[in-house]
Amino acid sequence: MKLFDYIRLAFRNIRRQKLRSALTIFAVVIGATSVTIMLSLVTGAKGFFKSQVESSGLLEQVAVSPKQDITDFNSANNGGQCDSCTKLTDAIVEKVKAVPHVIGVARQVQDGSLEAITYNGKKLSLQRTTAYDANGIITRNILAGRDLAEADKDGVITITSDYADKFGFKGNYAGLIGKDVTLSTRGFYNGVGADIQPPVQCQGACDNNNNNPGQNQKATVFTAKVVGITDTNDSDATVRVPIDWARGFQTMRMYQQDKVTQVDCSKARGPCNPPQPTFSLVTTDQLAINGYASLIAKVDNSKNAAGVSTEIKKLGVGAADASASINQQLTVFNILGLVLGGIGGIAMAVAAIGVVNTMIMAILERTREIGVMRAVGAKRSTVRSLFTFEASMLGFWGGVFGVAIGFGLTRVANIFVNKQLASQGLKAHDIIGLPVWLILAVVGISTLIGLLAGLYPASRAAKLDPVEALRYE
Amino acid sequence: MHVVNKMHMLKLKGLQVEPIIELKNVTKTYKLGDETLKALDSVSFKVSPGDFIAITGPSGSGKSTLANIIGGLDHPDGGSVIVDGNELMHTRDNKLSSYRNEHIGFVFQSFNLQGNNTALENVMLPLVFARMKNKDRKARAKECLEAVGLGDRLKHKPTQLSGGQRQRVAIARALSGKPKIIIADEPTGNLDSAKGEEIMTLLKGLNKDGITLLIITHDMNVARQAKRVVEIRDGKITERR
Ligand SMILES: Nc1ncnc2c1ncn2[C@@H]1O[C@H](COP(=O)(O)OP(=O)(O)OP(=O)(O)O)[C@@H](O)[C@H]1O
Ligand SMILES: [Mg+2]
Repeated sequence: MKLFDYIRLAFRNIRRQKLRSALTIFAVVIGATSVTIMLSLVTGAKGFFKSQVESSGLLEQVAVSPKQDITDFNSANNGGQCDSCTKLTDAIVEKVKAVPHVIGVARQVQDGSLEAITYNGKKLSLQRTTAYDANGIITRNILAGRDLAEADKDGVITITSDYADKFGFKGNYAGLIGKDVTLSTRGFYNGVGADIQPPVQCQGACDNNNNNPGQNQKATVFTAKVVGITDTNDSDATVRVPIDWARGFQTMRMYQQDKVTQVDCSKARGPCNPPQPTFSLVTTDQLAINGYASLIAKVDNSKNAAGVSTEIKKLGVGAADASASINQQLTVFNILGLVLGGIGGIAMAVAAIGVVNTMIMAILERTREIGVMRAVGAKRSTVRSLFTFEASMLGFWGGVFGVAIGFGLTRVANIFVNKQLASQGLKAHDIIGLPVWLILAVVGISTLIGLLAGLYPASRAAKLDPVEALRYE
Repeated sequence: MHVVNKMHMLKLKGLQVEPIIELKNVTKTYKLGDETLKALDSVSFKVSPGDFIAITGPSGSGKSTLANIIGGLDHPDGGSVIVDGNELMHTRDNKLSSYRNEHIGFVFQSFNLQGNNTALENVMLPLVFARMKNKDRKARAKECLEAVGLGDRLKHKPTQLSGGQRQRVAIARALSGKPKIIIADEPTGNLDSAKGEEIMTLLKGLNKDGITLLIITHDMNVARQAKRVVEIRDGKITERR
């Protein structure tokens, strides 16, 4: 028998019991629809996540941490202090810059000097302040205003959206741009801007506390202009300042007694007048000594990220590219896909049982016909193929209609998702895609399930004894 | 190889015509629980090409069993069956299917037409399995339906045809593969005598054109028209005429 005849006969037989075939196909449609929707949701979310990652440039980044044993991007990026580690000093920065394929490095600083942010009388506490080279390597999702720029000097900050929310600018982030806020440091802050007095020479009784050289008692207060609101979802809630300002925060400033030539009064003749001790302000760039919290090295091509990471590790510091942590996050999607696909798979399995049932019924009904076909020359294999083909066709149509319905539903879902994304300031569009491979896969799997479901009934049909089949009442 | 053997035997026996059907000691037993039933008990007989044989006998005597074995629908338990040079005893199912397709035309008592197919499609069925081209098989099926006088009923479904017409469609179907042998199991059993006569005339005409005809019947009026009558009782054969 020719392929065309199989198609023709299968088609005709399916149409023979219209309602029964329709119900059987309907069961497959339900399975195929759910598989389509679930897989397209997951691939959509995955694709969206990937594109976000790609546009963030994360794939071309290698995070460098003083902690040598660090293996994943996020903890490397978080950096941290480690006294016994190789410090991320400017010397190391230069070495990282010299690694082949590295096209730029951004230094990151975590600072704990600032304690509170106040706007319009409302005071919020700050966990930490971050700073980084505003050279375009590290980018943030800006909801209003702009990101920090290289030209920015002290007194310019960006804040994360949840601070803006708490200041009452939810939905109106632009309203906070250009406004001045007050930043207050913790006590004993002696960095830039701190009012440090040289110790006064006590004549007679004086309070010991006032005699504390180089320690500033009161919190220092800065006025800063908010130039941008960044998305809190990007990372933790924080205030970001230009890196040079952060360097200022971490600069240790204290008065030290100048060296004086000692005058030995015991040998002096006449009145001995030892010179008054003089003090001068000494500043120490702690950042230069302690090194940066972390570095982000930008690589010319994401393919080189892993190699660069290995190279940087040879400098005795920790380094990690983002691929591992991104892959880890992608596994979440994959697992989600498996779980959701599994639910669809159960629907498909039920549909397969329906196909088996329908085919067994059809074979019972057509036993005599099978006998006639055998009598006029149909081989066992022909009978088997015929019924397998018929079952596959049930699966095929179920798949086709299922994908069509699934497609319609994803379009509808996209309308809602687009709205949701737009409200979050994301310019994503129709993220629940239905890639061609998914369409083909669902139709293919449905057909395959129909085929598999048809195998047993078909082999029963093929095994029928022609004489008995002809005698079947 | 079988053909060579047969020729050899024919020479030994000095026969002129090579038989188209040759059965030797064919037995078929059915086991039902403890009882064994000999449907065919060492049946031997020969049919020459172009012969017209009626097989008669009481109900349950083994007529259909014999016909099915000759037609390659059933396997005997013992003996040998050679039809048109084909040794059927040890032939596998696949080849047996081709054998039925090419050599045998079946006509049944209850017509056995495909209910949802037209007359034309029913007649085309053997040609579908013969992998004939769609155009050719249509032409051939039409030719056969015209031969049985149903050239104007091509698109009719079995339910839209009378009993006699249905049996004629069945005969056209048996004819379509140009078989050398037509086996008709009670072809007139479901028809009144007038319609039965029409069918017999049709079948006799085919026999005249050279087709070997095997008719199973217990209708004496039908058997009488055959060139040879074979009677079976309890699975044993007795030649009548
Ligand atoms: N599958 C089977 N299992 C058991 N016994 C069978 C089977 N097929 C046929 N028989 C028995 O074999 C014997 C011969 O059957 P067969 O159909 O050849 O009879 P028949 O001569 O054609 O009868 P009828 O004229 O009623 O059609 C019968 O007794 C029948 O009961
Ligand atoms: Mg019978």
